[in-house]
Amino acid sequence: MRNLVINRIIGLGAQGLAYIATCGRAALVLFYAIFTLPRRITAYHLLVKEIYKMGVLSLSIILVSAMFIGMVLALQGYTILRDFGSESAVGQLISLSLLRELGPVVTALLFAGRAGSAVTAEIALMKTTEQLSSMEMMGIDPLKHVVAPRLWAGFISLPLLTIIFNLVGIWAGGYVTVNWLGVYSGSYWGNMQLAVDLDTDIINGFIKAVVFAFVVTWIAVFQGYNSVPTSEGIGSATTKTVVYSSLAILGLDFVLTALMFGNF
Amino acid sequence: MAFLTIRNLTFKRGERSILANANLDIPRGKIIGLMGPSGTGKTTLLRLIGGQLKPDAGEVLLDGKNIHQLSRKELFALRRNIGLLFQSGALFTDMTVFQNVAFPLRLHTQLPEDMIRDIVLLKLECVGLRGSHAMMPSELSGGMTRRVALARAIALDPQLLMYDEPFAGQDPIGVGVLLSLIKMLNTNTGATSLIVSHDLHETLSIADYVFVLADGKVIGKGDPQSLRASRSPFVRQFMHGRKDGPVAFHYPAPSFRQDLGLNANQHFHGG
Repeated sequence: MRNLVINRIIGLGAQGLAYIATCGRAALVLFYAIFTLPRRITAYHLLVKEIYKMGVLSLSIILVSAMFIGMVLALQGYTILRDFGSESAVGQLISLSLLRELGPVVTALLFAGRAGSAVTAEIALMKTTEQLSSMEMMGIDPLKHVVAPRLWAGFISLPLLTIIFNLVGIWAGGYVTVNWLGVYSGSYWGNMQLAVDLDTDIINGFIKAVVFAFVVTWIAVFQGYNSVPTSEGIGSATTKTVVYSSLAILGLDFVLTALMFGNF
Repeated sequence: MAFLTIRNLTFKRGERSILANANLDIPRGKIIGLMGPSGTGKTTLLRLIGGQLKPDAGEVLLDGKNIHQLSRKELFALRRNIGLLFQSGALFTDMTVFQNVAFPLRLHTQLPEDMIRDIVLLKLECVGLRGSHAMMPSELSGGMTRRVALARAIALDPQLLMYDEPFAGQDPIGVGVLLSLIKMLNTNTGATSLIVSHDLHETLSIADYVFVLADGKVIGKGDPQSLRASRSPFVRQFMHGRKDGPVAFHYPAPSFRQDLGLNANQHFHGG
């Protein structure tokens, strides 16, 4: 019995140590990759290629989602606000919901599922097929050549995708509100202009997008780099990227919202 | 002084010892064979020499530099002088054959593009695959992949070339080409070659010196003639491919009878 308890404690300690070591490795990967974007001009080609893969190829899912979310917000907002005779405030509701919350959070969740998982799978497969090892043996640091361009591409792409998401969402919401529901377009855009504040809404929303970009991309590249080099390991790393990113986005969103709008 | 010195090298995976106090001295400019049964730590030894693994004890000195005491930057700089041919080839799957071979040249040199093109075609010509330069790695056979990987490993003319099972999966013509290529590289560039292989006949035909490893230790060494004539039971077992001998063919396990759950007086055929 005593041995069983001691073994449990030893197991727990070992797990704790392994967890701390993983966190340390993640910090080291981030440190080496973030400060070592290669100097050569070829490196900027790599960065552009990754921005295309992570950002441009995510555009379709971002555009379509933003349109539907904007349209649904318009329908729901109109139904509720009409009861109070305030249907002209739909513009205000749509813009504030998107700029403060839905824009950064939904874009980051979609980005984690679309681009984050792809980055993890790609790096993990490169590790499994010894491509990272062979790069190391050529004297080329994979953190510089493989991880850094993907990390920077994520940092750049996600905030830009968030801006696009917000714009498309507001436009699609406006289309439904004005053309289908018959709200005067002057009230839709005018109320929005009065309600939206640059610091409170636009900049705070953008800060959220930057923080999510940092966290999602870091999780994605690290899970790939730290994966177990087997087919099962690739699957598990990809799943972890989506799960950890989603939880981190939602948890951090609460923390950031509390700091920004919590009136502390 | 030896070009590559390995002193009391010990490496463990968990509780299992892969290398136990291995000692090797490898002279400059020679072709060295590293042989031994599967699972005796030959590939691990190559990874330790390349600085991809850290030993539990002992040291690896390449040209007087202790590989495991170098900084990350120094280690990456040193690796430019090492070429390693991986068992799997490990080509970059998103690049063509040409781009794969050009990759180290583009990153490590300031050569103009037309010169890089000449060097890449020259290296591919050496391995007989110049015609495949526009192909993607997914279009190559296993043997061709390995030959392209060899062209890439020799792109920067390294001083130390390590081959991990270069003959596996090659047809007889490919083996012949590889043998003459390894010999030619050794003669023309003065590179030290370290060949890890099970293929006795091929390795002994070109090696100047051979180390035989078993259970993580060097159990025999010498030039091919002296190894063939060796009286050591370990070396004889390996050289003649005998199942029974001091090196166990079976991985340690409880008795077969015990694993099958049979009593002492039961027979395998159920009698």
